This record gives sequence, structure tokens and C-alpha cells, in this order.
Amino acid sequence: MISLKEIAIAGIGESPLGRITDMDALALQQRATKAALDDAGLQISDIDGLLTTPLRVAKWAMPCGIVAEGLGIRPRYLATIDLAGASGTAMVHQAAMAIATGQCNTVLCVAGQNLLSFSSNSDAIQKMADAGWAHPELEAPYGPMIPTLYALLAQRHMHEFGTTSEQMAQVAVTMRNNAALNHQAQKRDPIKISDVLESRLVTSPFRTLDCALISDGAAAFIVTTKERARHLLQKPIYLLGQGYGFSHAYIGDAKNIVTTGAVNSGRDAFNSAGLEPKDIDIAELYDCFTITVIVELEDLGFCPKGEGGRFVEDGNIGLNGSLPVTTHGGLLSACHPGLAGGMFHVNEGVRQLRGEAGERQIQDAKTVLVHGNGGVIGLHCTLILGADS
Amino acid sequence: MSTYWEKTGDSFALPFCSQCAQFHFYPKPACPHCGSTDVSQSEASGYGEVYSFSIVYRSPSPAFKDEVPYVIAIVATSEGPHLMTRLVDVPSNLLAIGLRVKVVPRSKRLSAEPLFTIERDI
Repeated sequence: MISLKEIAIAGIGESPLGRITDMDALALQQRATKAALDDAGLQISDIDGLLTTPLRVAKWAMPCGIVAEGLGIRPRYLATIDLAGASGTAMVHQAAMAIATGQCNTVLCVAGQNLLSFSSNSDAIQKMADAGWAHPELEAPYGPMIPTLYALLAQRHMHEFGTTSEQMAQVAVTMRNNAALNHQAQKRDPIKISDVLESRLVTSPFRTLDCALISDGAAAFIVTTKERARHLLQKPIYLLGQGYGFSHAYIGDAKNIVTTGAVNSGRDAFNSAGLEPKDIDIAELYDCFTITVIVELEDLGFCPKGEGGRFVEDGNIGLNGSLPVTTHGGLLSACHPGLAGGMFHVNEGVRQLRGEAGERQIQDAKTVLVHGNGGVIGLHCTLILGADS
Repeated sequence: MSTYWEKTGDSFALPFCSQCAQFHFYPKPACPHCGSTDVSQSEASGYGEVYSFSIVYRSPSPAFKDEVPYVIAIVATSEGPHLMTRLVDVPSNLLAIGLRVKVVPRSKRLSAEPLFTIERDI
């Protein structure tokens, strides 16, 4: 057994992102894998652990087996991780645990799919709607969209705390500004708050630009021992702390929908890292909807409960703000191919800590919080990554 | 297999635990308050208030295409449990969190799933 503090992220990579019509899910995952291996200076034969997630576009009975077969590996440890949108962050910790217990040494985490081009946009939305985010028997018959489930949270947050549509729009604008500096991002044209407020109403209070994209794409990262990572091509990035939190499976019967399991995941992540919110240089927050970021800022302790909207409005989350958030442009503007979406937040955290984020680099970033949120903001996994162990 | 609301028939009945004398919803394998499996359906008042709502403008599937816009809501029942539902016949100027609502009688709706409307209209 070694300590989780002895684990590092050694390589990251992505497939082409956006609308990619000539690659299926496995092809996208292979491209992301190749990019991560090249980044680390590893061969596929060096991989002895594999983690992936379920996907929507194909009926894969055992995703980890299908991916292992597709990539031509026979790992000593493999698993399919499903914490919904929290899968990306959880994979880092699950890989670290497998390595720390000696089950394997070098874990490839890879996921992604052609969610956008697999079908028309409305088909993709329906496929996600069929996935059970709304209770199949007690909620789905009423006809909520997936965005409706989060809109219920947004409406209640506005009621309890005075959060405004303008404040939510500021999240979308910030993500687009960040994406403009990310050449891989799907949406890079600048938008203003008025553009968000004038975009089409989808499910009140959400308009189109309050909602995540749907994308084709895959991401990969490689987790290994600090000892091995030191001898590879990149500066190792360390896992300093992690936490999980769960508050509810469905939004309809949750007692309190405005305070989430992120309270617990954040508390445990900070405790295990021995750090506090003020020690964080960048927060790569899961941003499936604009309200999600506001609630996470509060529940992770970056501002008091109910102050998330004002925290955003005051300019704190931009690249020049006190807490830059989701610096690659997130699910709202960069890439959202389903469960793999949160892996891009991990990769962005690694890029920032290596100092390789180009025009969007935050100077001297040493400590990054990465947060994943799954289901209808009920399932959470928070990581704290560091440039120094 | 019939759904929960098909089984409850004409009444607005929620799971009620005989051990701790509390309602819960959604249905669980055992009472979420005390763990007892001594749970049966018991008629609830049908009164509650809007905990949150969203007006859906874009249908999630072809099945709902002709119904948009419609109001999805979470209602906090007077007995405590929350549930998702639809609000019907609520004037848009009155639609708000905190609005007092009551379940629409089974005889006045087509589907087994309960709908809610503004309390004064019942």
C-alpha cells in the first residue's frame, strides 16, 4: 500500500471536439487515448489499469470490456465508473485507489462519444431524457426536460436568495469568454449578457444559453505513481484531496433542493488536502447549467450560501477575477459529450497546473479544485489537485 | 405492472408508516424515517403549496409536442412529502412559489398521475 499522496496524473489528451461526423465512440476514445499516451511518453502496452464510463449512443453491455478490447489492452484492473456527471473527477480517485492498493500501476481513464452527430440534436435530447434523470414512473410522465429538472432548482434559488437571470447569464458569458481562448472549444463566438437573456426560452427561467452544449468528443488522462510520473515527459500533477457527497436521487422528492451534496464532497476534499477555499487558485466547476456553478460556489464554501449570484455578478469568476472558474469554457461552451464531460475539467486543471493553458493561463496556479456533479445536482465528487505534492 | 398512481385509484394516497405515523414519498422499500416495512397507502389531504415550478416551452419528446407550454412543479404537500406534478388552470399572473394548491380530482383528469391546481378553484 502506498499513500494517495504518492499518486500523480501523468498524461492528458482529447479527441477532436465539437461535431465530428467520421468517428464513432471507440474511435474518439482511441484518439483521446493516443493523445494522452503521447503526452505522457507512454505506450499502450504500459497501461495495466482501465476506467471508463457508460455511454448513450451504443448498447455496450460492459463498457470497460468493450473499451479494453477496442484499445487492445488486457489490464490487471478495470471497471466502469458511473457517478453520472461526477464520473470524471471520481475516475481520478478510483484510479488512485487501485494504484495505491497495488492492483495496478498505470491507469488509463478514457470516455466519450459522438453524442451530437449520432443523431439530430432533438434525438440526442430525447435519448438523454430517456436515461432516467427524471423518475421514470413518478416524474417522466409529466414531461419535464432534463433542463426542467435544473430549472426547478434555479427558480427556487431565485425565490430564496434573490438570484437573478442576469447573474446566471454572467456564468454563460464567462464560460464563452474562456472558450474563446480555447482553440478546441465548440462555441467560441463572444456573447453578452443581453444575448443570453434574449436567447430562446426553453424551460423557465432557463434560456438556450443557460444550458450545456451537446458535443462529440472524448477525453483521457493517465494516473500513475509519483515515482513513475517523475520519469515521464510531463510535470506530474498530484492528487491532494478528494471527497464525495450525495443528497438525492431525484429532484422531485428532495427536501431541500438549493443545498446539495457538494457541501459534503467539498468538506471532505478540503479536509483530506489540509486546505481551505481561500487556498484555491482556480475552481474547475461542473457547469451543466448556469445555476449549477452558482450553487457549487456556495456549497463548496467559496462564498456564503445564497451569495453565489452576487459573487458571479461582482466579476469574481472570470480569468482576472479572485477565483477563475472553469477556465476552458466548460460544458456551456467547450464540450459536453455526456458523462465524459467532467473529464475535460480535470484535464484543464492539469493544464493550468503545468502552466500550459496558453492565453487562458492563470499565473502561478498551484492549487486547483475540480468538481463534478451528477444526476440532478445530487451526486458529487470534488478533487483538489496540486502542482506540488 | 401498474404504476403507483394506477394502484391508488381515485384517491390521493401516499405511503404511510404505521410504526412512526409519518407519510413519505416517493415510495421506498422501507420507511425512510424509521426503517419499518409496516407501510401502506393512506389518503392524504391533497393540499399543498408550490415549492418550485418551471414553464416548459420545448417538448422533451414527440409525446408532449402538442401540450407545450405547460407548468412542471414540485409541490410540498401539507403532510410533508414533496412530489413532481403539473399545475393546470393556474392564471400566469398567480403562478408563484408558495401558491396554495390542491390535487385535481381523479374524475376531472384523464391520466392516473395527479395534477394540481390553485386551491380556490376547487
